[in-house]
Amino acid sequence: MTWSPFSYIVINLARQIRAREVTFSGVNSTLPMLACLLAKRAYDFHFTWINVAGGVEPQPVKIPHSSSDPGIVAGSAGIFANQDFYDLCARGGIGLVYLGCAQIDAEGRTNVSTIGPHDKPKVRLPGGGGAAVMLPTAQRVATWRTEHSPRALVEKLDFVTAAGNLAALVTPRAVFQRTTGRFRLESWHPDARLEEIIERTGFAFDAAGATPTALPTAGELSALREIDADGAFEREAAID
Amino acid sequence: MTLVAGLRAASYGIPSQPVAGVFGSELARVNNWKTIVDPYTGKEVYAIPAIRPDIAVIHVNEIDELGNARLYGTPFWDHPLTRAAKRVLITAEKLVTTDRLREQPELTLVPGFMVEAAAVVPKGAWPGSMHPYYEIDYPAVERYLNDSDDALAAHLAEAPEARR
Repeated sequence: MTWSPFSYIVINLARQIRAREVTFSGVNSTLPMLACLLAKRAYDFHFTWINVAGGVEPQPVKIPHSSSDPGIVAGSAGIFANQDFYDLCARGGIGLVYLGCAQIDAEGRTNVSTIGPHDKPKVRLPGGGGAAVMLPTAQRVATWRTEHSPRALVEKLDFVTAAGNLAALVTPRAVFQRTTGRFRLESWHPDARLEEIIERTGFAFDAAGATPTALPTAGELSALREIDADGAFEREAAID
Repeated sequence: MTLVAGLRAASYGIPSQPVAGVFGSELARVNNWKTIVDPYTGKEVYAIPAIRPDIAVIHVNEIDELGNARLYGTPFWDHPLTRAAKRVLITAEKLVTTDRLREQPELTLVPGFMVEAAAVVPKGAWPGSMHPYYEIDYPAVERYLNDSDDALAAHLAEAPEARR
């Protein structure tokens, strides 16, 4: 069994989670929500999952369509609502935050504000949703794009919404990592060629030491089948 | 979070609220946010100006005739919003007795003395959800997202309060 574009993103997002840390998933973040649910099933270590609907270690029987649906609180023994999780992040208490982006640059800065000139945008995007505070204060941030293209992975952002501790970028074709400075390629989809990744990435990156991404394990695949039994999430994500 | 910092400043009765992060974001420039130096540590932080809404309107599960408003589930931003605003209006799913609210006063999110007016509007959160009474009406949201001229009119006609 190899990767589908959907399983590649969800599983590689799940692989960013470390044992014993607090992990947060937010609004408009269905793939990270699924990654957290998958990690809970597939990995043999404890981590705390909190989400934007206020859920703390939720155990939803029915996984909602939206990552901010109150249904994603089901099974929580406590509510940790918006003020609480933002403040926890601000004081350094969240290990991994998933934050979305429209554009991302080589140093892990993100744009979720505008495409084109900021005062006369071609496209007005939903906005940061706390990113300007969370990206610099979370210990690590992971992001994802369902499109791996030079217009999404750019040398220069149209607008800098947030800058800070971006640690991982997952696309349908590759996984990038950074600690400080620029992203380096960690691994690429085994069906892709390194030249293709370079061609489809708008910023230059170091690929030394990068390898084809390790195939999904049996545990990861069975967890994904469990949380997307009828394939509805994969169809909805419609990732090429 | 910067929005909440502004609401917090208003609810605390102070002109601005320091907030973590923001450095490196162009939002500071376009919003004209400025930094201040903490007088104790010398650390530089962004201070977000107070945001004092004229009116906050929130939807709750239960309300009594005195305006005491009870919420089940996650409060999201209802607490800072109702404290920051000059006036508070409530819509509620159900009218209940004050004695019922007295049984668990900690579930009352907004005490009646803060509430200027209220209306009982069953299904008032539609097409959103109201935990634990009803879930998001995803098909209705999808119909509303339809890019046709009459999508808004059709959406409004379908609203529970329009069909009563």
